Amino acid sequence: MSVRVEQASKWIYAGVWGILSRWFRVPEHPPALPSSSGTSVESFKPAIGFLKYLKFQFWVGLFAIDLTIFVVELIILVNAPTMGLLLLVPALFFAIVPDVIIYLAIHLRYDTTWYVLSDRSLRIRRSIWIIHETTITFENVQNVSVHQGPLQRWYGIANVSIETAGGGGQQSHGEGNPWQTSHCGLIEGVADAHRIRELIMSRLKQSRSAGLGDEELTPARSGWTSEQIATLREIRDLIATS
Amino acid sequence: MTIPSDDQSLPTFDPTSIERPDESLVRYYGLVSLLSGPFFPFAFIPLYLKYMTLRYKFDDSGVSMSWGILFRREIHLTYRRIQDIHLTRNIVQRWMGLATVAIQTASGSSGPEMSIEGVLRADELRDYLYRQMRGARGESEPTMTGSIQVIPSDDPLTLLREIRDLLQEKCSSDGRAS
Repeated sequence: MSVRVEQASKWIYAGVWGILSRWFRVPEHPPALPSSSGTSVESFKPAIGFLKYLKFQFWVGLFAIDLTIFVVELIILVNAPTMGLLLLVPALFFAIVPDVIIYLAIHLRYDTTWYVLSDRSLRIRRSIWIIHETTITFENVQNVSVHQGPLQRWYGIANVSIETAGGGGQQSHGEGNPWQTSHCGLIEGVADAHRIRELIMSRLKQSRSAGLGDEELTPARSGWTSEQIATLREIRDLIATS
Repeated sequence: MTIPSDDQSLPTFDPTSIERPDESLVRYYGLVSLLSGPFFPFAFIPLYLKYMTLRYKFDDSGVSMSWGILFRREIHLTYRRIQDIHLTRNIVQRWMGLATVAIQTASGSSGPEMSIEGVLRADELRDYLYRQMRGARGESEPTMTGSIQVIPSDDPLTLLREIRDLLQEKCSSDGRAS
Protein backbone atom coordinates (compact mmCIF):
# COMPACT_ATOMS: atom_id res chain seq x y z
CA MET A 1 0.00 0.00 0.00
CA SER A 2 2.62 2.48 1.08
CA VAL A 3 4.74 1.59 -1.97
CA ARG A 4 1.79 2.46 -4.19
CA VAL A 5 1.23 5.72 -2.39
CA GLU A 6 4.88 6.53 -2.83
CA GLN A 7 4.75 5.67 -6.52
CA ALA A 8 1.62 7.75 -7.04
CA SER A 9 3.04 10.73 -5.22
CA LYS A 10 6.17 10.46 -7.37
CA TRP A 11 4.04 10.53 -10.51
CA ILE A 12 2.02 13.47 -9.28
CA TYR A 13 5.19 15.32 -8.39
CA ALA A 14 6.75 14.60 -11.78
CA GLY A 15 3.55 15.85 -13.41
CA VAL A 16 3.65 19.08 -11.42
CA TRP A 17 7.28 19.51 -12.41
CA GLY A 18 6.41 18.94 -16.06
CA ILE A 19 3.74 21.62 -15.94
CA LEU A 20 6.06 24.02 -14.14
CA SER A 21 8.94 23.58 -16.51
CA ARG A 22 6.86 23.59 -19.68
CA TRP A 23 4.25 26.25 -18.99
CA PHE A 24 5.77 28.28 -16.23
CA ARG A 25 9.30 28.07 -17.63
CA VAL A 26 10.89 26.96 -14.39
CA PRO A 27 14.44 25.88 -15.25
CA GLU A 28 15.23 22.30 -14.26
CA HIS A 29 19.00 22.58 -14.26
CA PRO A 30 21.25 24.47 -11.87
CA PRO A 31 22.33 27.91 -13.06
CA ALA A 32 25.57 28.09 -15.00
CA LEU A 33 28.41 30.23 -13.78
CA PRO A 34 31.17 31.24 -16.17
CA SER A 35 34.55 30.34 -14.77
CA SER A 36 38.09 30.33 -15.95
CA SER A 37 39.12 27.09 -17.57
CA GLY A 38 40.58 24.39 -15.39
CA THR A 39 38.67 25.36 -12.28
CA SER A 40 35.74 23.42 -10.98
CA VAL A 41 32.26 24.78 -10.44
CA GLU A 42 30.39 23.17 -7.59
CA SER A 43 26.60 23.30 -7.63
CA PHE A 44 24.52 21.88 -4.84
CA LYS A 45 21.11 21.97 -3.21
CA PRO A 46 20.34 22.44 0.46
CA ALA A 47 20.91 19.35 2.62
CA ILE A 48 18.15 16.79 3.01
CA GLY A 49 17.90 17.95 6.63
CA PHE A 50 16.57 21.26 5.33
CA LEU A 51 13.61 19.45 3.75
CA LYS A 52 12.93 17.67 7.03
CA TYR A 53 13.26 20.95 8.90
CA LEU A 54 10.71 22.64 6.62
CA LYS A 55 8.39 19.64 6.95
CA PHE A 56 8.64 19.71 10.72
CA GLN A 57 7.60 23.36 10.72
CA PHE A 58 4.82 22.40 8.31
CA TRP A 59 3.49 19.65 10.59
CA VAL A 60 3.55 21.92 13.63
CA GLY A 61 1.68 24.62 11.73
CA LEU A 62 -0.76 22.08 10.28
CA PHE A 63 -1.51 20.65 13.71
CA ALA A 64 -2.14 24.10 15.22
CA ILE A 65 -4.39 25.33 12.42
CA ASP A 66 -6.34 22.10 11.95
CA LEU A 67 -6.87 21.78 15.69
CA THR A 68 -8.31 25.30 15.77
CA ILE A 69 -10.61 24.52 12.83
CA PHE A 70 -11.71 21.26 14.48
CA VAL A 71 -12.45 22.87 17.85
CA VAL A 72 -14.40 25.79 16.31
CA GLU A 73 -16.35 23.37 14.11
CA LEU A 74 -17.15 21.17 17.12
CA ILE A 75 -18.40 24.14 19.16
CA ILE A 76 -20.65 25.28 16.30
CA LEU A 77 -21.87 21.73 15.72
CA VAL A 78 -22.87 21.36 19.38
CA ASN A 79 -24.55 24.75 19.71
CA ALA A 80 -26.16 25.06 16.25
CA PRO A 81 -26.33 21.66 14.52
CA THR A 82 -27.74 22.87 11.14
CA MET A 83 -25.21 25.68 10.90
CA GLY A 84 -22.48 23.22 11.88
CA LEU A 85 -23.47 20.74 9.16
CA LEU A 86 -23.46 23.53 6.56
CA LEU A 87 -20.01 24.62 7.66
CA LEU A 88 -18.65 21.06 7.64
CA VAL A 89 -17.68 21.11 3.97
CA PRO A 90 -15.82 24.48 4.00
CA ALA A 91 -14.16 23.50 7.27
CA LEU A 92 -12.87 20.27 5.74
CA PHE A 93 -11.79 22.20 2.65
CA PHE A 94 -9.77 24.70 4.67
CA ALA A 95 -8.33 21.93 6.80
CA ILE A 96 -7.05 19.85 3.87
CA VAL A 97 -6.51 21.81 0.65
CA PRO A 98 -4.01 24.45 1.86
CA ASP A 99 -1.96 21.71 3.53
CA VAL A 100 -1.58 19.77 0.31
CA ILE A 101 -0.55 22.91 -1.56
CA ILE A 102 1.93 23.93 1.12
CA TYR A 103 3.39 20.42 1.27
CA LEU A 104 3.92 20.50 -2.48
CA ALA A 105 5.36 24.00 -2.27
CA ILE A 106 7.93 22.86 0.30
CA HIS A 107 9.15 20.15 -2.06
CA LEU A 108 9.23 22.57 -4.98
CA ARG A 109 11.08 25.15 -2.92
CA TYR A 110 13.65 22.54 -1.99
CA ASP A 111 14.07 21.40 -5.57
CA THR A 112 14.35 24.87 -7.08
CA THR A 113 16.98 26.18 -4.68
CA TRP A 114 20.46 25.98 -6.11
CA TYR A 115 23.81 27.19 -4.90
CA VAL A 116 26.73 27.40 -7.28
CA LEU A 117 30.27 28.07 -6.11
CA SER A 118 33.20 28.68 -8.39
CA ASP A 119 36.69 29.71 -7.39
CA ARG A 120 35.82 33.38 -7.80
CA SER A 121 32.15 33.81 -7.18
CA LEU A 122 28.89 32.31 -6.06
CA ARG A 123 25.45 32.27 -7.57
CA ILE A 124 22.23 31.54 -5.72
CA ARG A 125 18.91 30.76 -7.34
CA ARG A 126 15.68 30.43 -5.44
CA SER A 127 11.92 30.65 -5.67
CA ILE A 128 9.42 29.46 -8.26
CA TRP A 129 7.09 32.28 -9.23
CA ILE A 130 9.66 35.03 -9.17
CA ILE A 131 12.95 33.32 -9.89
CA HIS A 132 15.71 35.26 -8.24
CA GLU A 133 19.36 34.75 -9.05
CA THR A 134 22.10 36.52 -7.13
CA THR A 135 25.71 36.68 -8.24
CA ILE A 136 28.47 37.85 -5.91
CA THR A 137 32.21 37.72 -6.46
CA PHE A 138 34.28 36.80 -3.42
CA GLU A 139 36.31 39.94 -3.99
CA ASN A 140 33.30 41.99 -2.87
CA VAL A 141 32.44 39.96 0.21
CA GLN A 142 32.75 41.84 3.49
CA ASN A 143 31.85 39.18 6.02
CA VAL A 144 30.53 35.66 6.20
CA SER A 145 28.32 34.58 9.08
CA VAL A 146 26.78 31.27 10.06
CA HIS A 147 23.40 31.10 11.83
CA GLN A 148 21.90 28.03 13.45
CA GLY A 149 18.78 27.71 15.56
CA PRO A 150 18.08 24.86 17.98
CA LEU A 151 15.77 23.09 15.54
CA GLN A 152 18.25 23.54 12.74
CA ARG A 153 20.95 22.03 14.95
CA TRP A 154 18.70 19.00 15.53
CA TYR A 155 18.53 18.49 11.78
CA GLY A 156 22.22 19.25 11.36
CA ILE A 157 21.82 22.24 9.09
CA ALA A 158 22.79 25.91 9.24
CA ASN A 159 22.44 29.08 7.22
CA VAL A 160 25.48 30.82 5.80
CA SER A 161 24.99 34.46 4.91
CA ILE A 162 27.52 36.19 2.73
CA GLU A 163 27.35 39.95 2.99
CA THR A 164 28.69 42.61 0.70
CA ALA A 165 29.15 46.29 1.40
CA GLY A 166 26.20 48.64 1.51
CA GLY A 167 23.15 49.23 3.62
CA GLY A 168 20.20 46.97 3.57
CA GLY A 169 18.00 48.29 6.33
CA GLN A 170 16.93 45.77 8.92
CA GLN A 171 17.11 42.83 6.62
CA SER A 172 20.85 42.73 6.28
CA HIS A 173 21.60 40.06 8.84
CA GLY A 174 20.21 36.97 7.26
CA GLU A 175 16.87 37.36 8.96
CA GLY A 176 13.80 38.78 7.34
CA ASN A 177 12.84 37.81 3.87
CA PRO A 178 15.94 36.24 2.38
CA TRP A 179 15.02 36.70 -1.26
CA GLN A 180 14.42 40.39 -0.84
CA THR A 181 17.57 41.01 1.09
CA SER A 182 20.05 42.94 -0.91
CA HIS A 183 23.76 43.09 -0.33
CA CYS A 184 23.53 39.59 1.05
CA GLY A 185 23.63 36.10 -0.33
CA LEU A 186 21.95 33.55 1.90
CA ILE A 187 22.94 29.91 1.60
CA GLU A 188 20.13 28.29 3.50
CA GLY A 189 19.99 24.87 5.10
CA VAL A 190 23.35 23.30 4.30
CA ALA A 191 24.87 20.50 6.30
CA ASP A 192 28.48 21.56 5.84
CA ALA A 193 28.13 25.25 6.70
CA HIS A 194 31.58 25.43 8.24
CA ARG A 195 33.22 23.94 5.18
CA ILE A 196 31.51 26.55 3.01
CA ARG A 197 32.49 29.33 5.36
CA GLU A 198 36.11 28.15 5.40
CA LEU A 199 36.06 27.82 1.63
CA ILE A 200 34.89 31.40 1.16
CA MET A 201 37.15 32.78 3.88
CA SER A 202 40.20 31.06 2.40
CA ARG A 203 39.40 32.62 -0.95
CA LEU A 204 38.96 35.98 0.71
CA LYS A 205 42.35 35.67 2.33
CA GLN A 206 44.00 34.71 -0.93
CA SER A 207 43.02 37.97 -2.52
CA ARG A 208 44.71 41.00 -1.04
CA SER A 209 42.17 43.56 -2.16
CA ALA A 210 38.96 41.80 -1.12
CA GLY A 211 36.36 43.94 0.56
CA LEU A 212 36.52 47.66 1.04
CA GLY A 213 39.11 48.04 3.80
CA ASP A 214 42.79 48.84 3.54
CA GLU A 215 44.78 46.48 1.45
CA GLU A 216 46.92 44.21 3.50
CA LEU A 217 50.43 45.30 4.22
CA THR A 218 52.81 43.95 1.66
CA PRO A 219 56.60 44.30 1.51
CA ALA A 220 57.39 47.92 0.70
CA ARG A 221 57.44 48.37 -3.01
CA SER A 222 58.01 51.54 -4.93
CA GLY A 223 55.31 52.59 -7.32
CA TRP A 224 57.89 52.93 -10.08
CA THR A 225 58.03 50.64 -13.02
CA SER A 226 61.31 49.20 -14.22
CA GLU A 227 61.10 51.35 -17.34
CA GLN A 228 60.89 54.53 -15.28
CA ILE A 229 63.83 53.49 -13.16
CA ALA A 230 65.83 52.60 -16.24
CA THR A 231 65.13 56.09 -17.64
CA LEU A 232 66.21 57.71 -14.38
CA ARG A 233 69.40 55.68 -14.45
CA GLU A 234 70.05 56.82 -18.01
CA ILE A 235 69.58 60.49 -17.01
CA ARG A 236 72.03 60.04 -14.15
CA ASP A 237 74.59 58.41 -16.38
CA LEU A 238 74.16 61.10 -19.04
CA ILE A 239 74.78 63.90 -16.55
CA ALA A 240 77.70 62.03 -15.04
CA THR A 241 79.44 61.48 -18.41
CA SER A 242 78.75 64.87 -19.99
CA MET B 1 14.97 29.86 -19.98
CA THR B 2 16.35 30.00 -23.49
CA ILE B 3 16.33 26.90 -25.58
CA PRO B 4 19.89 25.74 -26.30
CA SER B 5 19.32 25.18 -30.02
CA ASP B 6 18.24 28.81 -30.36
CA ASP B 7 21.41 29.99 -28.74
CA GLN B 8 23.64 28.56 -31.39
CA SER B 9 21.88 30.34 -34.22
CA LEU B 10 22.05 33.69 -32.46
CA PRO B 11 24.93 36.01 -33.22
CA THR B 12 27.39 36.65 -30.43
CA PHE B 13 26.09 38.88 -27.74
CA ASP B 14 27.27 42.46 -27.96
CA PRO B 15 25.99 44.65 -25.13
CA THR B 16 27.34 47.83 -26.71
CA SER B 17 24.67 47.48 -29.37
CA ILE B 18 21.88 47.69 -26.78
CA GLU B 19 20.41 51.16 -26.75
CA ARG B 20 16.68 50.71 -26.47
CA PRO B 21 14.66 48.18 -24.49
CA ASP B 22 12.91 45.49 -26.47
CA GLU B 23 9.36 46.04 -27.71
CA SER B 24 8.06 43.26 -25.50
CA LEU B 25 8.79 45.46 -22.48
CA VAL B 26 5.87 47.71 -23.37
CA ARG B 27 3.59 44.66 -23.59
CA TYR B 28 4.87 43.56 -20.21
CA TYR B 29 4.20 47.02 -18.77
CA GLY B 30 0.70 46.83 -20.25
CA LEU B 31 0.03 43.50 -18.56
CA VAL B 32 1.39 44.74 -15.25
CA SER B 33 -0.77 47.85 -15.47
CA LEU B 34 -3.85 45.71 -16.10
CA LEU B 35 -3.45 44.38 -12.56
CA SER B 36 -4.39 47.80 -11.23
CA GLY B 37 -7.86 47.39 -12.80
CA PRO B 38 -9.73 50.66 -13.20
CA PHE B 39 -6.55 52.63 -12.55
CA PHE B 40 -4.98 51.17 -15.66
CA PRO B 41 -4.25 54.53 -17.37
CA PHE B 42 -2.61 55.94 -14.26
CA ALA B 43 -0.34 52.94 -14.04
CA PHE B 44 0.33 52.51 -17.74
CA ILE B 45 1.05 56.08 -18.87
CA PRO B 46 4.12 56.63 -16.66
CA LEU B 47 5.44 53.19 -17.58
CA TYR B 48 4.81 53.85 -21.27
CA LEU B 49 6.66 57.16 -21.08
CA LYS B 50 9.49 55.40 -19.28
CA TYR B 51 9.62 52.82 -22.04
CA MET B 52 9.61 55.52 -24.75
CA THR B 53 12.46 57.51 -23.21
CA LEU B 54 14.56 54.65 -21.84
CA ARG B 55 18.08 54.61 -23.24
CA TYR B 56 20.97 52.33 -22.37
CA LYS B 57 24.62 52.80 -23.09
CA PHE B 58 27.18 50.11 -22.40
CA ASP B 59 30.79 51.09 -22.93
CA ASP B 60 34.16 49.71 -21.95
CA SER B 61 34.19 51.00 -18.42
CA GLY B 62 30.61 51.33 -17.34
CA VAL B 63 26.94 51.43 -18.10
CA SER B 64 24.52 54.33 -18.09
CA MET B 65 20.78 54.50 -18.42
CA SER B 66 18.44 57.46 -18.68
CA TRP B 67 14.69 57.94 -18.84
CA GLY B 68 11.95 60.43 -18.11
CA ILE B 69 10.25 63.36 -19.79
CA LEU B 70 9.37 65.83 -17.06
CA PHE B 71 11.77 64.52 -14.47
CA ARG B 72 14.78 63.09 -16.19
CA ARG B 73 16.92 60.51 -14.49
CA GLU B 74 20.33 59.38 -15.54
CA ILE B 75 22.37 56.73 -13.78
CA HIS B 76 25.98 55.98 -14.52
CA LEU B 77 28.02 53.32 -12.89
CA THR B 78 31.30 51.63 -13.61
CA TYR B 79 31.60 47.87 -13.88
CA ARG B 80 34.37 47.74 -11.30
CA ARG B 81 32.07 49.12 -8.61
CA ILE B 82 29.37 46.49 -9.00
CA GLN B 83 28.85 44.58 -5.77
CA ASP B 84 26.17 42.09 -6.64
CA ILE B 85 24.03 41.33 -9.66
CA HIS B 86 20.48 40.09 -9.25
CA LEU B 87 18.60 38.51 -12.11
CA THR B 88 14.89 38.36 -11.42
CA ARG B 89 12.21 36.87 -13.63
CA ASN B 90 8.61 36.66 -12.61
CA ILE B 91 6.27 34.36 -14.42
CA VAL B 92 5.02 36.95 -16.94
CA GLN B 93 8.59 37.96 -17.71
CA ARG B 94 9.51 34.31 -18.28
CA TRP B 95 6.66 33.92 -20.75
CA MET B 96 7.78 36.99 -22.65
CA GLY B 97 11.48 36.18 -22.44
CA LEU B 98 12.22 39.24 -20.37
CA ALA B 99 14.12 39.69 -17.13
CA THR B 100 15.18 42.38 -14.70
CA VAL B 101 18.91 42.66 -14.15
CA ALA B 102 19.41 44.65 -10.96
CA ILE B 103 22.88 45.96 -10.22
CA GLN B 104 23.98 46.97 -6.76
CA THR B 105 26.91 49.05 -5.67
CA ALA B 106 28.12 49.61 -2.13
CA SER B 107 25.79 52.52 -1.46
CA GLY B 108 23.54 52.84 1.54
CA SER B 109 20.27 52.05 -0.13
CA SER B 110 18.83 48.59 0.12
CA GLY B 111 17.32 48.78 -3.34
CA PRO B 112 19.33 48.26 -6.48
CA GLU B 113 21.08 51.24 -8.02
CA MET B 114 20.14 50.24 -11.52
CA SER B 115 17.48 47.90 -12.86
CA ILE B 116 17.99 46.99 -16.48
CA GLU B 117 14.68 45.92 -17.94
CA GLY B 118 13.69 44.85 -21.39
CA VAL B 119 16.86 43.10 -22.48
CA LEU B 120 16.03 39.86 -24.24
CA ARG B 121 19.28 38.01 -23.65
CA ALA B 122 19.45 38.84 -19.98
CA ASP B 123 21.50 35.77 -19.07
CA GLU B 124 24.24 36.82 -21.41
CA LEU B 125 24.04 40.42 -20.25
CA ARG B 126 24.38 39.23 -16.67
CA ASP B 127 27.38 37.10 -17.53
CA TYR B 128 28.91 40.02 -19.44
CA LEU B 129 28.50 42.27 -16.40
CA TYR B 130 29.82 39.50 -14.19
CA ARG B 131 32.98 39.21 -16.24
CA GLN B 132 33.54 42.96 -15.92
CA MET B 133 33.06 42.85 -12.17
CA ARG B 134 35.82 43.18 -9.66
CA GLY B 135 37.34 39.83 -8.84
CA ALA B 136 35.79 37.89 -11.69
CA ARG B 137 38.88 37.69 -13.84
CA GLY B 138 41.66 37.43 -11.31
CA GLU B 139 43.13 40.76 -12.29
CA SER B 140 42.49 42.29 -8.94
CA GLU B 141 46.09 41.94 -7.89
CA PRO B 142 48.03 44.97 -9.05
CA THR B 143 50.34 43.56 -11.71
CA MET B 144 53.75 45.17 -11.84
CA THR B 145 55.09 45.54 -15.36
CA GLY B 146 58.33 43.63 -15.21
CA SER B 147 59.29 42.77 -11.69
CA ILE B 148 61.96 45.12 -10.41
CA GLN B 149 65.18 43.60 -9.22
CA VAL B 150 65.74 45.23 -5.90
CA ILE B 151 69.23 46.66 -6.20
CA PRO B 152 69.90 49.40 -3.64
CA SER B 153 71.18 51.73 -6.33
CA ASP B 154 67.96 51.29 -8.27
CA ASP B 155 65.88 52.91 -5.58
CA PRO B 156 64.22 55.88 -7.32
CA LEU B 157 65.00 58.23 -4.45
CA THR B 158 68.70 57.36 -4.53
CA LEU B 159 68.74 57.80 -8.27
CA LEU B 160 67.01 61.17 -8.06
CA ARG B 161 69.39 62.30 -5.31
CA GLU B 162 72.37 61.29 -7.41
CA ILE B 163 70.95 63.24 -10.35
CA ARG B 164 70.42 66.28 -8.13
CA ASP B 165 73.94 66.08 -6.75
CA LEU B 166 75.42 65.66 -10.21
CA LEU B 167 73.43 68.62 -11.52
CA GLN B 168 74.48 70.70 -8.52
CA GLU B 169 78.11 69.84 -9.13
CA LYS B 170 77.76 70.69 -12.81
CA CYS B 171 76.02 74.01 -12.15
CA SER B 172 78.63 75.10 -9.64
CA SER B 173 81.50 74.11 -11.95
CA ASP B 174 79.79 75.90 -14.88
CA GLY B 175 79.35 78.99 -12.72
CA ARG B 176 83.03 78.98 -11.82
CA ALA B 177 84.07 78.48 -15.44
CA SER B 178 82.15 81.52 -16.72
